[in-house]
Amino acid sequence: MAIGTPPRPSEAGAKRAGLARRSSFLLLGLVVLGLAVLASIAFGSHPTSLSEVVAVLNGTADSDITTVVESRYPRTALGLLAGLCLAVAGTLMQGVTRNPLADPGLLGITAGASAGIVTATAFLGATGQWAAVWWALAGALVAGVVVHVIGAVGSGSGLVRLVLAGAVVSAVLGAYVQAVALSKPQVFDSYRYWVVGALGGRDVGVLMSVLPAAAAGLVLAVLLSSGLNTLALGDESASALGANPALTRSGGLLAAVLLSTAATAAVGPIAFVGLAVPHMVRALVGIDFRVQIVFSAVIGPALLLLADVVGRLVLRPQELMVGVVTAFIGAPALLLAVRRMKGTS
Amino acid sequence: MTRTRAASPRGFVTIGRAVAIPVARVSVVVAVVTVVLIVATAVATLSLGRLGIPVADLPGALTGGADGKQAFVLERLRGPRLVVAVGTGAALGLSGALFQTVTRNPLGSPDVIGLAAGAGAGAAVVALFLPGVLPVPAGALAGGAAAMALVYLSTGTGFRNPGRLIVAGIGVFSIATAFTQYVVYAVERDKAAVLTAYINGSLAARSWSHAVTIWVVLLVVVPLVALIAGRLRIGEMGDELAGVLGAGPRSTRAWAVTLSIVLSAGAVSVAGPVAFIALTAPQIAKRITGRPGPHLTLAALVGALLLALADLAAQQSPVPVNLPVGIYTLAVGGLYLGYLLTREWRKGSL
Repeated sequence: MAIGTPPRPSEAGAKRAGLARRSSFLLLGLVVLGLAVLASIAFGSHPTSLSEVVAVLNGTADSDITTVVESRYPRTALGLLAGLCLAVAGTLMQGVTRNPLADPGLLGITAGASAGIVTATAFLGATGQWAAVWWALAGALVAGVVVHVIGAVGSGSGLVRLVLAGAVVSAVLGAYVQAVALSKPQVFDSYRYWVVGALGGRDVGVLMSVLPAAAAGLVLAVLLSSGLNTLALGDESASALGANPALTRSGGLLAAVLLSTAATAAVGPIAFVGLAVPHMVRALVGIDFRVQIVFSAVIGPALLLLADVVGRLVLRPQELMVGVVTAFIGAPALLLAVRRMKGTS
Repeated sequence: MTRTRAASPRGFVTIGRAVAIPVARVSVVVAVVTVVLIVATAVATLSLGRLGIPVADLPGALTGGADGKQAFVLERLRGPRLVVAVGTGAALGLSGALFQTVTRNPLGSPDVIGLAAGAGAGAAVVALFLPGVLPVPAGALAGGAAAMALVYLSTGTGFRNPGRLIVAGIGVFSIATAFTQYVVYAVERDKAAVLTAYINGSLAARSWSHAVTIWVVLLVVVPLVALIAGRLRIGEMGDELAGVLGAGPRSTRAWAVTLSIVLSAGAVSVAGPVAFIALTAPQIAKRITGRPGPHLTLAALVGALLLALADLAAQQSPVPVNLPVGIYTLAVGGLYLGYLLTREWRKGSL
């Protein structure tokens, strides 16, 4: 059932050709990412010409334009971070749980963050983005830990339990969130905005407060990537090769929890990136986790930033939230790509 | 999960000499207990609370001897709602069992490929942009149907290939959900709250016409499910073996997915997109019996029980705001599945 995860033997010649292919893909991805960052700084709901933007970057523009352009720095940085976190987290989760439906919402992260924010605004009188970020972080981490405890990662069948545990925790917290939101109008108002997922209206402080979790998750992901490759051979072969499957899996999931918690707390739940980017990456470069993580880290932010730029332009002078745009751009692409999927099951 | 006992005691239910249906004793016991619980929930639903019919009067009321107030409660207020709840729950449970068996994904139900999300988007369009032109449930049904049509067309292989089905479903689900969330964000708060409540699934103010709808769907679909049930069981052994045994795995899958969608769509048309029952009922059935296999009957019974219980909670809960039943199905189904998972964990049976 797992799409693209079973390992395929590769020969040396094919490997070298694959390397060239991957390098050119990576180069292309980096160029797109660079353009996305530039676009994110250059375009906004307030029109600015390219020469004005260049002047700002040189430090020779007047102060009005500088303010406008500089206000786009935080959301660009947030987009980079969130896109990276979501895509890498999705890759880890789909790889470790071998479930093509796995996304950062799977392990209760989104529900936990929502519950944290709703609790804080409804009962603790918290206001402002700072409080929201901290409560979302706390809620998401607690939910992630509870899912792990119920799911008790262990044998192969334990993965099914983990996925179910995620569904259970998401369901119960979701019921709580909906119940509170529907009975308290003020909470409903802030919740329905947050749940769409947006990059705008957040400052550098938000970025800084989620950065530690994101960095820890990314480091863990990179350290575990070769271990995750052996895991794809099956538990027995992995053990024979000296890997510890249970430990590697737990580590991979912990990294995924940290990464998706950081992203969700910072920008709200953006469903599509974590779900779809791993599918795109596997289709491009295959199943080597070391390569997958690098590509996810490039494609995820590029996609998210481009989506955000589109969202700023289509409804000018209003903005469309990035969570809506990712779905409306990404989903048709996914639908067109489905027919090219290999395998019968 | 496969706690199959060695040499498990298997009986056969025989019909004449031609038909012998293998039935595991544990499944029969669990099924009977579930039916008893459904009846108990039904009695509680009719008799609890300020408007309830006392249990002693219930047999008389059910056989036609109800006076004015009791007749109103039974025939207008709680009776249809209960019948709709049991039928809808059964349809969702069966739908989930079919879908999970075919896709071999424990999260499987037509909802993950966008049926409920499409229904929500359809409801949003009708409620906010075409008010009065179409009833909201019709919009939900149209939205769900459109979503399924989109999935069917995108895969290029219809419903035969579960892998493509799920990836295409992710796409449709994402678009529909994002659209609905944006609408909920963009409209006035009161409208948004009404829409959100509908999208959670609700059984408030159901009439006998709703009850007829869902039970007709069940009456049509259940015999068809019975026809493919045997082939589904063989399909559990894997495609190759199933092919050798002549079970035509691909067409069986396409049929199972189609029937699963019809059942869920029927549920959506009477109750809106009720969350989580299609997902949990088959898993709960599997975990109570501790046996592999599709568990179609049991999943339907568990689904019926879950929705009836959730609706009882929705009607009798002390919360001041009337919350839609979908919130209770999330809570009830979630807590119960969580309990089963932790119980297994303590026993160390996995």
